Amino acid sequence: MPQKIYMQLYAGITAQEGQDIYLKDVARLEGEENELASLMNLRLYRLSRKDKTHVVLDLLTILREIHTEYPDIDLVVIGPEQTVVEIEIKKKVISPLMLVFVWFLLFIGAALAIMNFHEDVSMLQVHQKLYALITGTELEQPLLLQIPYSIGLGLGMILFFNHVFKKRINEEPSPLEIEMFHYQKDIEKYISDTESDRSSKSWQSKHYSQSSSD
Amino acid sequence: MAVEALFAVFIGLSGGLAVGSGFVAFISVLGIIPRLVQLTRTDKAIQAYETAVITGAVIGSIATLHDIKGAFPEIFTIPVGLFAGMFVGMLAAALTEVLNVFPILARRIGMEKNIMVLVMAIVAGKILGSLFHWIFFVTY
Repeated sequence: MPQKIYMQLYAGITAQEGQDIYLKDVARLEGEENELASLMNLRLYRLSRKDKTHVVLDLLTILREIHTEYPDIDLVVIGPEQTVVEIEIKKKVISPLMLVFVWFLLFIGAALAIMNFHEDVSMLQVHQKLYALITGTELEQPLLLQIPYSIGLGLGMILFFNHVFKKRINEEPSPLEIEMFHYQKDIEKYISDTESDRSSKSWQSKHYSQSSSD
Repeated sequence: MAVEALFAVFIGLSGGLAVGSGFVAFISVLGIIPRLVQLTRTDKAIQAYETAVITGAVIGSIATLHDIKGAFPEIFTIPVGLFAGMFVGMLAAALTEVLNVFPILARRIGMEKNIMVLVMAIVAGKILGSLFHWIFFVTY
């Protein structure tokens, strides 16, 4: 009687260049213990330089790979139809110069943008009017209002991106983390939908027939 | 005369209606209120926050359209300025967030791990840019 094994592919994983990808790296398995141990160490694919930054391992190719090795296994598959392997190119340490450049680019850009914004919405007039509204005196440069305003500007941004009340709400992700997650998901979806286009390629995933790959 | 006055009232009302609904749409699209609710865990007070936004908008428009002058001590402008700045800061943060700037930039230069450094660059730029604007730029 064939062994029934349940398999769930991960949506996305990361791996190093030149690394071997084993079944345990791309999927969760559930079934009879003895069977699982050997199955998990089935080698699916070896990453090479040709793969560049992403490889899509699709379900059918993985199944074929398993079945050639273990013909008696009855696999029940749940979850995603492919796994996107993101290849971490050996982390070049970001040069401090680069970091300083980007930092100042953002810094100057943000400063310019806020000044443009202030001019655009006539913020000075609003501040003068607001100052008169509160104190009754007209002032060309209501700095007592404007300096706290400037500090508040930064505080508001930090507040929005969290890190102030972090301890109290640490189980909830900050908007930035959610945004990063969505971006990552979008990339994975794009790659898995475009790279393993089954209508235009043979059944074999392109990574197994290197000749047809780019 | 009565007809003209009525017509003016009608125009004013419809103009206010359009601007008001646009204002609310803008505030809700940026998601500042949900963010504040999430930070402070005050889901129950949402109604109160709505009222705060509406009364703020109404008082703000009355104050800009009519020449009202209070007689409070100068010191009162400090918290007002701080709150105004925080609100604009949250607007700015929500905008960059909506525009997906940070995730793309961080990935491009391979800095996903310390993205807060980039955020801090923008925060510092906003604060110093704003201070520069008020203290030096406007006097030219």
